[in-house]
Amino acid sequence: MSERLRIALTKGRLQEQSVALFERAGLDCTPIHHPGRRLIHALPDYPLDVVLAKGPDVITYVEHGVCDLGIVGKDTILEKGGSFYEVLDLGFGACRFALAVPEGSEFYSGYRTRTIASKYPAITQNFFRAKGMEVGVIKIEGSVELAPILGLADGIVDIVETGATLRANGLIPIETVANVSARLIVNTASMKLHKEQIQDFILRCQRELRKEV
Amino acid sequence: MRYIPNTPEGTRDRLFAECQQRREIETALTGLFARRGYSEIITPEEEFYDLFTGSGSAMEQEEMVKLIDRSGKICVLRPDCTTPIARVAATRLKDMPFPQRFFYDQTVYRSGQEHMGQLREIPQCGIELIGAKGERADLEVIATAVDALRACGLEQFHIELGHADIFPALASQLSMTREELERMRSLIEGKNYAALNDFLGRFGEQPGCQALQRLAYLFGGAEVLDEAEALAGPLPAISYLRRLYQLLDQSGYGRYIRFDLGLVHHLDYYTGPVFRGYAEGAGEAVLSGGRYDQLCGVFGRSAAAAGFAIHVDAVGRCLPEPVPAKVSSMVWHPDELFTMALRYVESCTPGSCELSTCATLEDTIQLANERGIRKLVILSPGKVEEVDIGE
Repeated sequence: MSERLRIALTKGRLQEQSVALFERAGLDCTPIHHPGRRLIHALPDYPLDVVLAKGPDVITYVEHGVCDLGIVGKDTILEKGGSFYEVLDLGFGACRFALAVPEGSEFYSGYRTRTIASKYPAITQNFFRAKGMEVGVIKIEGSVELAPILGLADGIVDIVETGATLRANGLIPIETVANVSARLIVNTASMKLHKEQIQDFILRCQRELRKEV
Repeated sequence: MRYIPNTPEGTRDRLFAECQQRREIETALTGLFARRGYSEIITPEEEFYDLFTGSGSAMEQEEMVKLIDRSGKICVLRPDCTTPIARVAATRLKDMPFPQRFFYDQTVYRSGQEHMGQLREIPQCGIELIGAKGERADLEVIATAVDALRACGLEQFHIELGHADIFPALASQLSMTREELERMRSLIEGKNYAALNDFLGRFGEQPGCQALQRLAYLFGGAEVLDEAEALAGPLPAISYLRRLYQLLDQSGYGRYIRFDLGLVHHLDYYTGPVFRGYAEGAGEAVLSGGRYDQLCGVFGRSAAAAGFAIHVDAVGRCLPEPVPAKVSSMVWHPDELFTMALRYVESCTPGSCELSTCATLEDTIQLANERGIRKLVILSPGKVEEVDIGE
């Protein structure tokens, strides 16, 4: 049990909720609250080093094995894919991906190939492919709601929280594409080489998650 | 357009230490394989695309690097070494008695994803034991896998065994559609515990459910075999793994052996034991292999077969980087002693001595200084003089 594990957390809200979970599980996370200029935060009473990264980079670090574990949204996993173990649904960061179209439009009728704007082209493409429906997908980096207003797309696939932004732009969600939440992922080789340590960490998190239910 | 002299993404030049390390690993492996009675086989870099799609091999279409040959046929750069070897064993060598033992030291090509830091040229060394089955054959292949990783200089590693029959035996007890079966397989493969529980919840009390739920957790030491039997009852595949473990343990290989009963990759391809090697320092498997008794039959001669491939670069990542020899002496000779000078250089430790490319001794001293070489070896008829020219 001497080797230290390294975990990558997705910066922002998922990071806060992950740290809160660790603290409930009894890990002292002081170094993360007072980061200073450090990029790697070593927890004092548990063999875990924490790094913070953007979601897709969490997957990259875990896939390459430079981090043993990672916490990342299922949305990023669906979009980026990759080969790792997805061992725990942490429940927090929950939201819904939906297909939204301009109010009153008939998205599924007619023979014209539809165009969808999304920040998540792979999720969008897979969703329609599973339906056997051919669509054009345009990747948009910023406010996706703008694309149908400008006439670029017939609909959007995006994260829906309250639906208020959609309504304000004359869009209504018509179909759920996926429900997503934060996941704990593990590098495949680390899982085998550090089984006891990783199982211990998973169990600690799991125990806290069960308490919440 | 101006020509830009760099290499395509996913390829690279290998120099000095990196090159030396790759060759050291390959030499250690091919030496071992040859000593175990395996013959080297070199198959074409380019093969017909159909070879890999029509043979039930586990290769995804988009992973292969494709070319069109002069007749318009689709070809690929060798995406895996086993399929071409099975082709040779079943066709050109169809009259050669079994078992046939082959090893290879070749490059496989994968198209990979952009900007993921993956190489598209992957050096692999491995063996295939074709036309033999049963515990002796599996024992030979697995023990050779352990010895191969040791020969590379690895100490902290293990070979993890699974069996292709475990998952189908358990899954056949549930009534599921093909799509559901594939979904369950991918959840077990990804150790997606949460989603697997939800998924199996729908099948509730059906027999085998509990064992399948635990399958993703069943990795580690030999104790997982006991747990699997307690959950699923006696299964021939588990007894077989236990027997193999006994044999390996008796011969001193036990400490390198682990199990992962949730190893459910490429189930249409593997037919018996499957295994992976993991080593401290590599984020991916350094070795993968198993038994594939159906493949040769696709090419017209059915044959039981097993083998493994070692991912040479991944092994390299687990080893300290070698330090290439530093040139420490330079030889100067009069015209008539050229062959003597060559022999002198050859007699030194490789890489430690080189010929002067200058005609005169003065220029040679200057060259040696520029190159930081402090020892000059001056040849004259019947005499070898070593001079230290350091300050």
